[in-house]
Amino acid sequence: MKQKYERPTIRKMNTGLMNKFGTRTDFDPVESIDGVAVKDLVEQYGSPVFVLSEKQIRRNYQAALRSFKTRYPKVQFAWSYKTNYLNAVCKVFHQEGSWAEVVSGFEYHKALGNGVAGHQIIFNGPDKKEADLILAIENHSLIHIDHFDELYLLIQLTERINKTAKVAIRVNFDTGVYPIWDRFGFNYENGQAWTAINKIAKANKMELVGLHCHIGTFMLSTAAYAVAAAKLCQLALKCKNELQNPLQYLDLGGGFPSTNTLKGAYLPGVDTVPSVEDFAEAITNTILEAGFATNELPLLILESGRVLIDDAGYLIGSVLANKRLSDGRRATIFDFGINILFTSNWYDHKISVAKESGQYTEETVLFGPLCMNIDVIRESIMLPLLERGDQVVVHKVGAYNMTQWMQFINMRPAVVLIDQQVKSHLIRKPENLDYLEMMEVVPDYLKT
Amino acid sequence: MKKHLQYYFSATLNSYAILFFSQNRILGVLLLVVSFFNFDAGLSGLISVIGSLLLVNTLGFKKEEIKSGLYSFNSLLLGIGFGTFFSFSFAYWLWLAAACLLCVVLSVNLSSFLGKYALPSLSIPFVLTFWMVLIASNGYLGMGLLQKGSSLIFELNTNPPSHFSQLCLFFEHLNIPANLLLFFRSVSAILFQNSVLAGMIISIGFLIHSRIGFSLLVLGFIASCIINQLTGTYPGGISNYYLGANFMMVSCAIGGFFLIPSWRSYLWAIAVIPFTFLVLNGLSRVLLLYNLPVLSMPFCLVTLGLLYFFMLRKQPGKLKLTPFQYYSPETNLYQFLNGEQRLKDFKYFNLSLPFMGAWTVSQGYEGSITHKGDWQHALDFVLKDLDDKTYQLPGIKPEDYYCFNKPVLAVADGQVEEVIAYIDDNAIGQVNLQQNWGNTIVIKHAENLYSKVSHLKKNSIKVKAGDYVKQGDIIAFCGNSGRSPEPHLHFQVQCTPYIGSKTYPYPFAYFTVAGQSGLKTFEVPQEGTTIERPEINSYLKNAFHFQPGYLANITADNGHTETWEVFTDDFNSTYFFCHENQAVAYFVSNANVFYFTRFYGARNSLLYHFYQAAYKINYSAQPLEDFFAADAENFNLLLWLQDALAPFYRFIQNTYTNSIQIKADGLIVQSKGGRLLLGKDKNWFKAELFLGTKGIQGFALQHQNKHLKVTWETSSV
Repeated sequence: MKQKYERPTIRKMNTGLMNKFGTRTDFDPVESIDGVAVKDLVEQYGSPVFVLSEKQIRRNYQAALRSFKTRYPKVQFAWSYKTNYLNAVCKVFHQEGSWAEVVSGFEYHKALGNGVAGHQIIFNGPDKKEADLILAIENHSLIHIDHFDELYLLIQLTERINKTAKVAIRVNFDTGVYPIWDRFGFNYENGQAWTAINKIAKANKMELVGLHCHIGTFMLSTAAYAVAAAKLCQLALKCKNELQNPLQYLDLGGGFPSTNTLKGAYLPGVDTVPSVEDFAEAITNTILEAGFATNELPLLILESGRVLIDDAGYLIGSVLANKRLSDGRRATIFDFGINILFTSNWYDHKISVAKESGQYTEETVLFGPLCMNIDVIRESIMLPLLERGDQVVVHKVGAYNMTQWMQFINMRPAVVLIDQQVKSHLIRKPENLDYLEMMEVVPDYLKT
Repeated sequence: MKKHLQYYFSATLNSYAILFFSQNRILGVLLLVVSFFNFDAGLSGLISVIGSLLLVNTLGFKKEEIKSGLYSFNSLLLGIGFGTFFSFSFAYWLWLAAACLLCVVLSVNLSSFLGKYALPSLSIPFVLTFWMVLIASNGYLGMGLLQKGSSLIFELNTNPPSHFSQLCLFFEHLNIPANLLLFFRSVSAILFQNSVLAGMIISIGFLIHSRIGFSLLVLGFIASCIINQLTGTYPGGISNYYLGANFMMVSCAIGGFFLIPSWRSYLWAIAVIPFTFLVLNGLSRVLLLYNLPVLSMPFCLVTLGLLYFFMLRKQPGKLKLTPFQYYSPETNLYQFLNGEQRLKDFKYFNLSLPFMGAWTVSQGYEGSITHKGDWQHALDFVLKDLDDKTYQLPGIKPEDYYCFNKPVLAVADGQVEEVIAYIDDNAIGQVNLQQNWGNTIVIKHAENLYSKVSHLKKNSIKVKAGDYVKQGDIIAFCGNSGRSPEPHLHFQVQCTPYIGSKTYPYPFAYFTVAGQSGLKTFEVPQEGTTIERPEINSYLKNAFHFQPGYLANITADNGHTETWEVFTDDFNSTYFFCHENQAVAYFVSNANVFYFTRFYGARNSLLYHFYQAAYKINYSAQPLEDFFAADAENFNLLLWLQDALAPFYRFIQNTYTNSIQIKADGLIVQSKGGRLLLGKDKNWFKAELFLGTKGIQGFALQHQNKHLKVTWETSSV
């Protein structure tokens, strides 16, 4: 076989101290995803293309469920729609038994459209429209109240339509981590939460069924969850003892990190991030010891998103050009940038080449295709020598990218799901001009 | 007052019917009528019964027993015997009263005495009393008791022939085989008569009561006649009294009443005949010395003797004694079979799974790795992932294994018997053969019932010997100590408290198997299956968790209303009681299921329809299948055929299925009853139960052509 041409490279000799982790750089090629060749995927769906592994989604879900269910008798997951609300993805989670957690009217309708029963939809967030609230009340969905104005609105609505709403309040507290997410929900320490609970208890048409918290995102401390669970349990026991209103569930929200490496982190995420097992242990031990009678233990709801899907998502892209910057650094331009890889703002994504390459690597800056200065994927990465047209695979991109991506300069690419039988399915078509202009209206006087 | 009369009426009829081990009213009435064929006997019989009933009731004996006729049927026999044997006079009534008192005293005392051995007193009180009277009156003529005829006790009335006796005479000479005439005469002998007509009427009554019982009467008759034919014991043929009151009765009692009818019990019903011959002949020779008749003593002795003999068996096998007496061989049989199938809650201690979540049985009973010999009835559990792996990569430390450090639970309430907690967890692939079981807990749940979990994590045990634990308590964490190359949980049940005791096969009460629908009840999980605790639907549990004092007002769309209340009886069984029509429906409700066990009362009551609709409910909301016990509701030739064949072969099955539809704010239980006849399913009823947050809201039932809609309102007492 003819060997691949590799351009010459010059590297500075480094004679100082050895890197404490050795000289190893991770550039094992990723030639296939879940058994489907990268080359074939690009051929079939173009480049760039998002690829999701159904098997990995299910594996993640089942592992997380196992971590909790083997430690606590009643556990329910609710899929966080905002993390990835492609219908195919949601349906995989619902098939596994997950409820839906939505934070807006359109997500609520999406959940209904995906066949989720009304009483298995959790309605979160600070922005719930009146019509959506009425629909949620009528469907017996679980409405998690975020602020007093929403509480007052709900009281009015329930009186007006003469139906009982099943509600919980979102509680925020100091769990010892910074920042405190006190902009969502009612504060625990200053008594706001208890006030809200009392207002609900006094309302005629409100049934307080649970408590909710969501202490942060990409949380790296399990202790914070133990604190949150303990405070939530105290509040729940107070509801039972003082208001004779035993609660059906505690919703600990999400926020579990994936194994991506945060920007600026010293050590890679795979080595430092606590596992779901660790979070499960912290949370369940706290609830089990909080003082509930064995047969009155509340249902534990979790709204994990990121940890269940991040590592099931891949982004395949291609090299557009190689460059040398004015300061001598190498730069590589890809056909994907922060327009579709939003999370490159947060993480130092792991990027692998898609075919076997030589042993030499060089340090390079990775740019996206936008004509915007901010379009940087990695500030610095060691990669084998790439040529125009070579493919790379970006790892752990399943969470948030397919919801926060934007159509700017370039259009959004296709999304492909590889099923458990190693077959790929197009689950979102690449966008085109028609799609882009679908919602546009040109006034008549400009038409000619 | 009306209730009072009803009570005495039932007690009187039962006193008659119980002569044939029955509580059937038709049979009771027929027997009452037939007893008056000999007017004197019938009258003194009835008077004795009523007198005895008044006596025991006034003295405050247990109402249930009185009502069943248990204390008064011996007086009935005594009265009939008196009337048959002695002529009316002042002294007659005096001594009858005295004898009745003696008979009642003996009945009560003997029932209690024999009751301790779970034995019935049968007609022993009557026999003893009557012997006493005969001995006394033979010795002291001054007592004034005049014997009627000669030594022949049971002759027919010698009064001038009336229309009635002409009728009787007609039947005496009916043109049917002599054996058949003898059969009927023998049946009538139980009431000290010798009348074909009486026998025929009683036979019809008995047939209405029980097909199995009647077939056994016939069987006993034939067997006795054949044996007599072969041996020639009684050259003139067996007397009808011996036949009726002893041989046929023994067959009936052994073959169908005190044993669950089966081909085995039928064999015993035949085998017992020569045995009875021996006892009867021996006894009559001895009694001849005192000029006494044997009466039904041989029947009593043989029946009691055999019963006690059967009771003493250590391993009863398939010849079963009747566990609960329903006074009908059919009901006994059907309830027994149904109970074997359904009522495992009463048979086994309720063990739940020793873990949370879905674990896979990596080695089952008689497993090929280590579950062998004395330790073959054990289970090993691990956690597996989607790829069937028990660990996450790299899998070189115990911590990499999913099951490591997962909570282990107590399978039932009990006291911790022994704990070992200090043994190190092995490195993966190593085993500790010196401390084979590793860290272990043994819990005592009942006498001779212990559970043991092994290979626990070092120092993870939360209990110590002597502690009481509740079902579901976390007692330790799964580890890798002892003979365990990779983390797993070993579970076994044993009869002795030692670590290393041999295993005893025992099922888990309720669990679900991944990939299989339905709830597994009292089964041992199979190797390779992934099992989990049933997930309880709170709507269902909340709705069906009826506590004593629960009160429901039920209104049907046809205006019919009933009030049901939940009570607990002496044996801690819970039941619904309908205040309007006294219907009773027994039920069981535990952590996992609700089910009815038995219904007594009117078949058109709303309670009966609820019993049908909610015959069994899984709180975990899986669809289920169950069986109703066959029931003699009303006359139906097919059902009668089934009854007659039931001890050998059953071709009709009453099925029950339900499935649950979950709604946004409640759920609907859709149930269906069917009659499975030779593989063909016939619709019996269809029902829907509506449940909301506050419990049952109502139900709808379609039964034959009847459509019923019922609303349900709840309150507590």
